[in-house]
Amino acid sequence: MAEVTFRSVSKQYDGDGPKAVDSLDLDIKDGEFMVLVGPSGCGKSTALRMIAGLEEVTDGELLIGDRLVNNVPPGDRDIAMVFQNYALYPHMTVRENISFALEVAKVKKAEIKARTEEAAEMLGLMDYLDRLPKALSGGQRQRVAMGRAIVRSPQVFLMDEPLSNLDAKLRVQMRSEIIQIQRRLDTTMVYVTHDQIEAMTMGHRVAVMRLGVLQQVADPQELYQRPANLFVAAFIGSPAMNLINVTLGGTAERPTASFAGHTLAIDPRAVERYPQVADRIGSSVVLGLRPEHFSIEGDFDLPADQTVEFEIDLAEAMGAEAHLHITLDVPVVELDGAPVIAEDGDDVSTSTTSVIARIDGIHFVRSGEVVKLGVKTHLAHFFDLDTGLPLN
Amino acid sequence: MSVRRKGPRATIVRVFTYLSLVSVAVVVIFPFVVAFATSTKNNQDIFNYPPTLIPQEPQTVDATELLLPDDVDVSDESLSLFTFPDSSTRFALVDNDISVAEFRPLDDLDRIIRLDVSSGDKTGDVVTIDGDEEDVFAIEVDGTTIEAYRSRLTSGGRFVSLDDPADERVELVNLVEPVQQFGPRLENFEEVLIDKNLGRSLTNTVLVTIVVVSGQIVTSILGGYAFARIKFKGRGPLFLLYLGSVMVPFVVLIIPLFQLMLQVGWLDNLSALIIPFMFSAYGTFLMRQFFISIPVEIEDAALLDNASRWKILWRIMVPLARPAIATLATFGFLYAWNSFFWPLVIINSGNPDGRVLSLALSTLGGRSSTDLNLVFAGAMIAMTPPILVFLFAQRYFVENSASSGLK
Repeated sequence: MAEVTFRSVSKQYDGDGPKAVDSLDLDIKDGEFMVLVGPSGCGKSTALRMIAGLEEVTDGELLIGDRLVNNVPPGDRDIAMVFQNYALYPHMTVRENISFALEVAKVKKAEIKARTEEAAEMLGLMDYLDRLPKALSGGQRQRVAMGRAIVRSPQVFLMDEPLSNLDAKLRVQMRSEIIQIQRRLDTTMVYVTHDQIEAMTMGHRVAVMRLGVLQQVADPQELYQRPANLFVAAFIGSPAMNLINVTLGGTAERPTASFAGHTLAIDPRAVERYPQVADRIGSSVVLGLRPEHFSIEGDFDLPADQTVEFEIDLAEAMGAEAHLHITLDVPVVELDGAPVIAEDGDDVSTSTTSVIARIDGIHFVRSGEVVKLGVKTHLAHFFDLDTGLPLN
Repeated sequence: MSVRRKGPRATIVRVFTYLSLVSVAVVVIFPFVVAFATSTKNNQDIFNYPPTLIPQEPQTVDATELLLPDDVDVSDESLSLFTFPDSSTRFALVDNDISVAEFRPLDDLDRIIRLDVSSGDKTGDVVTIDGDEEDVFAIEVDGTTIEAYRSRLTSGGRFVSLDDPADERVELVNLVEPVQQFGPRLENFEEVLIDKNLGRSLTNTVLVTIVVVSGQIVTSILGGYAFARIKFKGRGPLFLLYLGSVMVPFVVLIIPLFQLMLQVGWLDNLSALIIPFMFSAYGTFLMRQFFISIPVEIEDAALLDNASRWKILWRIMVPLARPAIATLATFGFLYAWNSFFWPLVIINSGNPDGRVLSLALSTLGGRSSTDLNLVFAGAMIAMTPPILVFLFAQRYFVENSASSGLK
């Protein structure tokens, strides 16, 4: 077991191309479950492959334990990795797959057998040891890949989107199994995913990356409640945080936010958390409201100036809750010239802003209806329109 | 999955399809059948008319088992059997070199009666035929005595009926029909292998083929893996160059390659048939394409398992590439086995011990082509291994022809 340390690590594929990973500084503690998360192309997989030694480090220092591993070949790093497509050896049985690394390491036969079966036992694979991977289901293959990693008792586990090929139900199950295995083995684990739900539920800490740059490292709650910038705010949470371009008005003690003909009073507690709001009266900022910060008339006890009447474009009843889709005639909030979390190829309208409010499922709202929603502005977030940084 | 159409129209179409396919198949397979039949025939049978597909030999009978007239002195123990055009009774040829007299009856000069030269008595009369004076003989035919003159003396055969020893006939041997029976001559194969020295050529070909094919597989695996997975400077251009060499027709290379062999001292040596062909640009390309199609992650996983490149190649990549290797082996085998022109050029001293099968076969056909049965027997021996290989490996063969072995 060991910690993994990135010291200003960069990765550049072409001599003068963009950096896939840009000056990454990250300390992963011994025994920690660290999740790297971000949209595709953010550099999370590259960072992981650098730990594995499958990608060379262009610049900076990478340490496993106290050892500088920049030039250590993958096999000598004492790490194990689970790949997105499992990368099982198709011509070997489950037993051979799991024991291959031990065999290469010339471990004694009896010990190979014992360790292989121990790992198989832990993963419930005892009945499948003599099968070929093609005769296994997706979940079983996933377990074999885990077994191949576990059997080596490595210092660090690396996982590259290991659940993305499973169906939703299996994914939930494997999620908890991986968490349990990590707890049991108490081994440092670095887990890459693009799924923020996996990130939130699995990691001790989560590192959010964008365009090769680390945005924030924090435990999931901190990440959700105190996002370090507009990107993290938008990326973490499902449905995503609503980001609305507003103009601040009112007074420094009791500011208001105006947008698309609506005016919303801002609770002083929000100003306590975001003191710069008081200095920005009269200018435009980004107001961040999570879907659950809305509530429908009857469910809230909020002052009248914290309520707004919206026309509902679409009401999605999900059972326990309902999502109300609202379109505001306000330009969408952009970061570096593109909608904050839009990925390449997304067809997003930039002239209007979509807002989603989450209300209790017992309320029946029809599409096209006009309803009065209360806004818990004491929980609201505020960001600078240009830098994307929080106004605290 | 395709859905089978049903209904009378579809049935007709299917019947028609099968019929035409079968007839094409028959046409294609017919030469092989003829070749095989000929390879098991004796030399006479090949020229029998009408020709048959089934090998035949003249039927014989053991002389000691027959009741023969007392004056027959049989030195051969087995007698050939014949039939006459007027009956189906089989006759044994007891003597094929007796003096035969041909008589023509005076009342029917076109009829010819052949009898033993001792039969017939001169009556003392004389007739004039075409200006020549001929003695008149009294001969006995079917119990009646007729007058005839003797038109010719020749030699012929004496035949005794198998059913009735008293029934004897005298006839020219080429005018009676030999009785044929099924009789393959399997000695053809032995003769061609031993007497015609085809055995040595077969050994040479087997040796050359095995070494060439295994050499090609090993070098193609190594080269293909390097081109597919190991990064080195100039890999792209080098591969293009390598691939380009596939486009150069072999005839262009014959003279330079001959020069090279001359300088190395491999003229008339099996090395010249082996060493240059152990390296195959096509095989390297085939293996590279296959290796590229194997997910990199599998190799990454093996690297993380601390396996060396060498171990990854032989433990992971090669077992996965079995279909491509089988394809390569099939093609390499057919090429090495059938190659003719290069051996013809390089094995040129006339020493039959250096010959390969293709070469020996052409010599066999050229110099002793009267032994057609032996030529065909040699051809069958040469043809069998490729056919067997094709039968066992046709999946890979067809796969490759269809998709160059790419997944």
